[in-house]
Amino acid sequence: MFAGIDIGDTNTDIAIIDSQISTYKVPNNEGLNNALKKISPGGRLAISTSQALNEIITGHPADIRTINIPGPGLVYPDAVKGAVSHRGDIIEPIDPEEIKKIMKGQYAKAVAIAGKFSVRNDILEKQVYDIVSHFYSDEQISISSTIGALNFPARIHTTKLNAKIKRKVASLIKKIHKVNPDFYFVTSTGGLISPARVLDNPMLLYHSSPATVANGAYYLSKNDNCLVIDIGGTTTELVPLKNGKPIYETIIIDGLKTLIQAVSATGIPFGGDSCIRTELCPFRAGSSRSFGGSEPTLTDALNVMGARIGDFERSEILDRTSAENAIHKYLDTVASAVRDYQPEILIGTGYLAHYLLSDIAERSNTVGIVPEHAASANAVGAAVSKVSLEVYIHVDTERKRMTLNGMAYPYKETKDDEHLIAYATELVREIAMNEGAPEEDVEDIKVLYFSSFDVVRGWRVSAKITDMILAVAPGISVEAL
Amino acid sequence: MTCGIVYDPSYLAHEQSSSHPERRERLSYSLDQLEEEGIFDLPQIKLFLPKPATRDDVLLVHTPEYLKFLEDASINGGIIDSDTYIPRNLIHDALLAAGGAITGADAVLNQEVTNSFVLARPPGHHAGRSHGAGFCYLNNVAIMVRHLQRRGLRRIMILDWDAHHGNGTEEIFYDDPSVLFCSVHQYPFYPGSGRFEDIGIGDGKGYNVNLPIPAGSSDRVYKYLLEEMIIPLADEYMPDAIAISAGQDNHFTDPLTGLALTARGYAELMKEMCILADSICHGRIIAVLEGGYSMEGGLPYTNLGLIAAMAGLDLSAIREPEIYQNLLKESISEDAFPQVVKMISELKKKLAAHWYFIQRY
Ligand SMILES: [Zn+2]
Repeated sequence: MFAGIDIGDTNTDIAIIDSQISTYKVPNNEGLNNALKKISPGGRLAISTSQALNEIITGHPADIRTINIPGPGLVYPDAVKGAVSHRGDIIEPIDPEEIKKIMKGQYAKAVAIAGKFSVRNDILEKQVYDIVSHFYSDEQISISSTIGALNFPARIHTTKLNAKIKRKVASLIKKIHKVNPDFYFVTSTGGLISPARVLDNPMLLYHSSPATVANGAYYLSKNDNCLVIDIGGTTTELVPLKNGKPIYETIIIDGLKTLIQAVSATGIPFGGDSCIRTELCPFRAGSSRSFGGSEPTLTDALNVMGARIGDFERSEILDRTSAENAIHKYLDTVASAVRDYQPEILIGTGYLAHYLLSDIAERSNTVGIVPEHAASANAVGAAVSKVSLEVYIHVDTERKRMTLNGMAYPYKETKDDEHLIAYATELVREIAMNEGAPEEDVEDIKVLYFSSFDVVRGWRVSAKITDMILAVAPGISVEAL
Repeated sequence: MTCGIVYDPSYLAHEQSSSHPERRERLSYSLDQLEEEGIFDLPQIKLFLPKPATRDDVLLVHTPEYLKFLEDASINGGIIDSDTYIPRNLIHDALLAAGGAITGADAVLNQEVTNSFVLARPPGHHAGRSHGAGFCYLNNVAIMVRHLQRRGLRRIMILDWDAHHGNGTEEIFYDDPSVLFCSVHQYPFYPGSGRFEDIGIGDGKGYNVNLPIPAGSSDRVYKYLLEEMIIPLADEYMPDAIAISAGQDNHFTDPLTGLALTARGYAELMKEMCILADSICHGRIIAVLEGGYSMEGGLPYTNLGLIAAMAGLDLSAIREPEIYQNLLKESISEDAFPQVVKMISELKKKLAAHWYFIQRY
């Protein structure tokens, strides 16, 4: 059995897939526990939480203390002593007294620790972590090495965001563990990740809804090339699929690059709960009237025009002209964004897709399909996703050092590149399978990048340095197909 | 100030042999450093991919016979001298290096960036009109300078600060007053040329300025040369652009040479050149990588320092790791400075007839 939960802005969607697909919608105000109780233990549970986290991430700046270990090079704020070289050698030590002094009288909510080249050797970051942990709990401290990739400024920024949301993610994990001890989160690229690995890099959960929608729409429609339109409570997301896969892009937050990839989507700030005050407004002011709210919304407008969503009689406070205008404004805005993609076919998801997709398709001169269970496609997408991993690997044969996403792994002599890739592939496969990935899902481990060069000292090749990126690509689990 | 960086992973491809000092490892750690510093995400930095030079570009400088020789030898391999082999497919890499210099120059001329730094390999400054030498095949800087002139610039100043004398570039422009060639190099040293007495011939007399300095010369020596000769020469010559043969083998950790410049010294030198270029030629500087063989202790920090200076970034943390401090102390010679002061006064006598700033004193 596969179960998926998507915690959206208004409702929590649940999908359970065994011999057949069943989907449910639970209003968020009924609480997550109620949703979790619908799922019998034993199967695999995947949870997409993006909405809850997005608010904290993009919300007002929290008081996060950063401690940076830059060593020689460009100038960075909040710098302390210590340096790691490009080879991963500790070339300058940290000064524990300096760190203690910073910590004393520190009232920040969380601490982010980032060292230059820490992905080649995380010892200095860990030393700072040990000192900071006398003053803060583990749930308030993030380090940068586990992010894996080079790019110190982007790692500093990502670590800071990780520190900002780590506590919330940790408490969410505890809450879910009480009801269901064995579950996954869905990442922003639409892969599954274990709670333990999430705590190393919580930002991987940011904005996962386009990813779950992409996986769900593909699973339900089996359409390789299309534009998915997900109509939610407060937004409408357009997610293009090419050859059955979404497009990925780097996430920028507060104008700064992070080291997090996410499924590319265009967000339109209108959805079923967008309220109508003289005209359709790009925000929510409570539930639709047909779901007990006080102000009329796009959903109420559809009821006025003949739909029967919820307690539809409560919608009638809205006059016909205003309802018509609101719907027209919505359709025009979405159709104009759709036309930019020139899609061959539209796949509609979300609970209003049935009511709106054919009109959007008509206005953008294309055709639309609303597959069965489209209303909870995001939860279906979470349920059918597979464990995915992206691993940055650095190998130095002279230092006998091998790091995978900043963590030291046992070094092994290999006779050539092919042999080294085989060894690294085995390690990555093991990580994925330890997280519970079935064997079929980790058969295809892709080499996204490979570069190696000889180290020569005294006119002799003395060592070899290799960098590679290996990945278990996100997508739909073979077991669910 | 925006700085263009011209780079392509193909610049790692060229290797005469896997253990030759001019090998891909030269750039590998530097690129790690640039990537880790997030250089390519900065608004002050723009990355350009090099376009290969055409045969016509090369023939602005080199003889058709020599180009044909390189093309033919690139098929099955060949040899120029004991340090300089022609590996198969060399011409492809050499054209991409020369083309990179042209790409960097065009980016500046088209006002896409203020200045540019070309991280090209193989280097070029020992290559003359009809011969290669000392790890060099095509003279990237000379080809780029002729390209600038083809695009309408009149006078170009070349500052060659590689530890070795830029004998190839000197030969190419020796009789040409439209190019002021100025080389700072360790002397006596490979390739043997570069005496201060060699000041050009014919119309080019006075426009070839060699600044030979002894082993052990430090940041202080370079600062002195800058203030005493290089800046006054530029102020009087009023070039339309400045080309820099940026060899990073003056660094005190370099295993092949004996000079004692630091990463910060390099960065400050470049900063001064940028200030100079701002005042006389709209900031136009095109720097092209030449030598530099201190893979780990030197190049990552010097290359970063140069780019930081060209992009107008804070240079206060540009330095080597502290573990190299003892080596620096051992590398600096106290005798070097007075010798250089003496050389400059001799050189001024030689050049006095050609430069007003010298006659004034
Ligand atoms: Zn040199």
